[in-house]
Amino acid sequence: MAQPIMQLRGVSKSFGMTHALTDLSLDLHAGEVHALVGENGAGKSTMIKIMTGIHQPTTGQILVDGSVRIIPGPQAAREMGVAAIYQEPMVFPDLDVAENIFISARDEGLLRRPARQRARARDLIARIGMDFDVDQVASGLTLAEQQAVEIARALSEDVRVLIMDEPTASLSAHEAGRLRRIATSLAADGVAVVYISHRLEEIFEIADRVTVIRDGSHISTRPVAEVTSEGMIAEMVGREVGNYLTKTAGTATAEVVLQAEGLTREGVFEEISFELHRGEVLCMAGLVGARRTDVALALFGVAPATGGTIRVGGRPLTIARPKDAMDAGIAYVSEDRRKLGLAMPMAIRANISVATLAEFLGRWGLLDTNRERAVAQAFRTRLNIRTPDVEVPVGTLSGGNQQKVMLAKWLNMKPNILIFDEPTRGIDVGAKAEVHDLIREFVAAGGAALVISSDLPEVLALGDRILVMREGRQMGIVAAEEATSARIMVLATGQAALREAS
Amino acid sequence: MLRLMDRLNPQALRIVALLVVVAAVLVFFSLVVPNYLNGRLFNRISSSVAIMALVATAQTLVIITRNIDLSIGSTLGFVAFATGSLVTNNPDLGPVVLVAYAMALGAMFGAINGVLVAYARIPAIIVTLGTMALFRSALVEYSDSKSISTANLPEWLVAFPNTVLWEWGEMQFRAAFVAAVAVVLLVHLALTRLRVARRLYAIGSNPEAAEMAGINTRLTVFVAFVLAGALAGLAGFMFLARFGTITVVAGLGFELKSVAAAVVGGVNIFGGSGTVIGALIGAILVDLIDTSLVRWALVSEFWREAVLGVLILLSVAADALLMRRLIAARRAREHAKAEARIERELAAQNGRAAS
Repeated sequence: MAQPIMQLRGVSKSFGMTHALTDLSLDLHAGEVHALVGENGAGKSTMIKIMTGIHQPTTGQILVDGSVRIIPGPQAAREMGVAAIYQEPMVFPDLDVAENIFISARDEGLLRRPARQRARARDLIARIGMDFDVDQVASGLTLAEQQAVEIARALSEDVRVLIMDEPTASLSAHEAGRLRRIATSLAADGVAVVYISHRLEEIFEIADRVTVIRDGSHISTRPVAEVTSEGMIAEMVGREVGNYLTKTAGTATAEVVLQAEGLTREGVFEEISFELHRGEVLCMAGLVGARRTDVALALFGVAPATGGTIRVGGRPLTIARPKDAMDAGIAYVSEDRRKLGLAMPMAIRANISVATLAEFLGRWGLLDTNRERAVAQAFRTRLNIRTPDVEVPVGTLSGGNQQKVMLAKWLNMKPNILIFDEPTRGIDVGAKAEVHDLIREFVAAGGAALVISSDLPEVLALGDRILVMREGRQMGIVAAEEATSARIMVLATGQAALREAS
Repeated sequence: MLRLMDRLNPQALRIVALLVVVAAVLVFFSLVVPNYLNGRLFNRISSSVAIMALVATAQTLVIITRNIDLSIGSTLGFVAFATGSLVTNNPDLGPVVLVAYAMALGAMFGAINGVLVAYARIPAIIVTLGTMALFRSALVEYSDSKSISTANLPEWLVAFPNTVLWEWGEMQFRAAFVAAVAVVLLVHLALTRLRVARRLYAIGSNPEAAEMAGINTRLTVFVAFVLAGALAGLAGFMFLARFGTITVVAGLGFELKSVAAAVVGGVNIFGGSGTVIGALIGAILVDLIDTSLVRWALVSEFWREAVLGVLILLSVAADALLMRRLIAARRAREHAKAEARIERELAAQNGRAAS
């Protein structure tokens, strides 16, 4: 076989104690579409960042044209002909299309030559089979057009390795089809295309070889003809499941506390229908881009639904803003602790009371810090928050303890329904088990929980029922007894539509 | 109206809008202030704008990269004093040497800001808030509480700003104003025509993407601060020439006035868009209102500040509204186009299927 353009040899990457990549090797050949699949958090993004010079490997080598190279930054990567495009395109909203394409070009001389630049831009856009104005500013482009701008930029720099990171995740079917054609035609022109996608059918359509990675390690690389979707899914999820994920007996009752019927937010998700019972944990599974968080945000009123009905305790309810949801006893524990969850520099005490400040008002309408402290202390004991003192800033706690503080904040509201968004992302195994116990305790005491999780073993262990979403659609609800990771993955990747029907 | 707005380049549109506002202000004051429109008004404003235009241009360069330079007034003050003391001690030095000295000194101050912002990655507002005080203290220390006085300056220097190049009725086009406008035009040409200048806009527009696109963002931001420093130095030279008497408070408050001029002139405070021509007209507008309010008996000194403040808020609000409408109009047009295109493609496919 010919010399690969780019090779990774035994590449590992650690961030502190976390091993994002372990001994990963990969060959990329000219003229080939190389698909890369793996669960969320398998290490795909880290790999891209190493190939484009954003991160340096902790150990291992990168070879370009057979010789060892160090890629110190994105600029160097582009000079070697390695470029990446992302699900969220990286364009300059204030610059026009032609300027966007040639912003880092080196062969253009001192002065701008707008006419020539536009002509070249038009050629590049035409070459990838698209057609739009090149003198409009990029902020007016559609997502697909912005991606085209990025591909054109890569082409203008004689790209040899083009990494496409879930490029179709936010595109319509029509646009996605066109993008896949661009990828195959680039490969036909001799570019090594790395194609990352959660849509398995895309991979069967365009890939020449498929590499599966899991937990930062290389699992397999095979020609696409030798791959089946079952085999691929098995390799993606086949991790050893720790024994902390033991299934506990369900406490679900027949009483419906929350009912969604045909819930839709235009252009985001559609026709989501489920019932949540008192004492039940309903898990929402799916891949990145399945729009689960958007459903949660609609239930909590942050980005309200545009269609369908929500019933709480049997009564129809319009949830237009978070306060409506909170008044109805719904609380939402966000996945993004840093941005939407906690005020990191503030004390644990202040973080716990912040959503329910009205309850902490003393005489004259002033805050009663003693009461705040007492409540915080109670939660500290009850949730086993490991901290010397509740006056410590939340930012100094470990991820798991931060998660517990966030939980305390919402538990203090005494909600009936708790929505958890990725409650155990980025926290260690011990803390995970504790968070699971807390969720179980909450439902056993008469609450109901909706848990969004991308961690399959967690979904299987925690959920009484599992709702699987894919690209804004509900693919099915599976009862815990019937759920296996393969079954969930089949639904989440869209391989089920045919199978369930037959 | 919307169609017209859509067709015009938004930057050009902003400048047209600004000129309309300038005209409206002139008409308004000519109605309430007797004997308002005359050559003296033009001469007064053009003299003070000569300095502020340069400072606003410098500020614009930095703001475009999503940064800010609050030390610009202190830089100006220090350079004015240092240049003044240089020429006081060496009265034979010619204009070229003095201008070069002023700009080099300013560039040095700019480089200090640039290193701290671009390479040490400290937010510009914090860095320049610090250097604003530092540079001012350096001036106090350096001046030893003396001041430069006109009597010690060479005659050509004092005469330069008021040299009348040509006259049009009572309106005098003086050397300082003409020189400042020439510099602004030069920077404008560089910003619109030089390829590297696009990188300033790119960084302000989307810093992360600029990094990913292989732009050396640190060097570019550093250069922006150095250029801004050099322009502030040039403004310091003009300040010296115009006022002659330089004390430790020279250029005090110019940092915020320059930000105001730039923002009124349509420079986006979050970076990525704006022109120095806009900043120039912004400077003219701010100065025009300031000067005119002095002559309007109805408005007390206290209210002058308030009216200026209201003007700045109004222009920023107008800008935001305008841009929102522009973007909405463009989106709608694009959407319609895209739908038409999809329809065409579908029709073509159906046609193929049928045949």
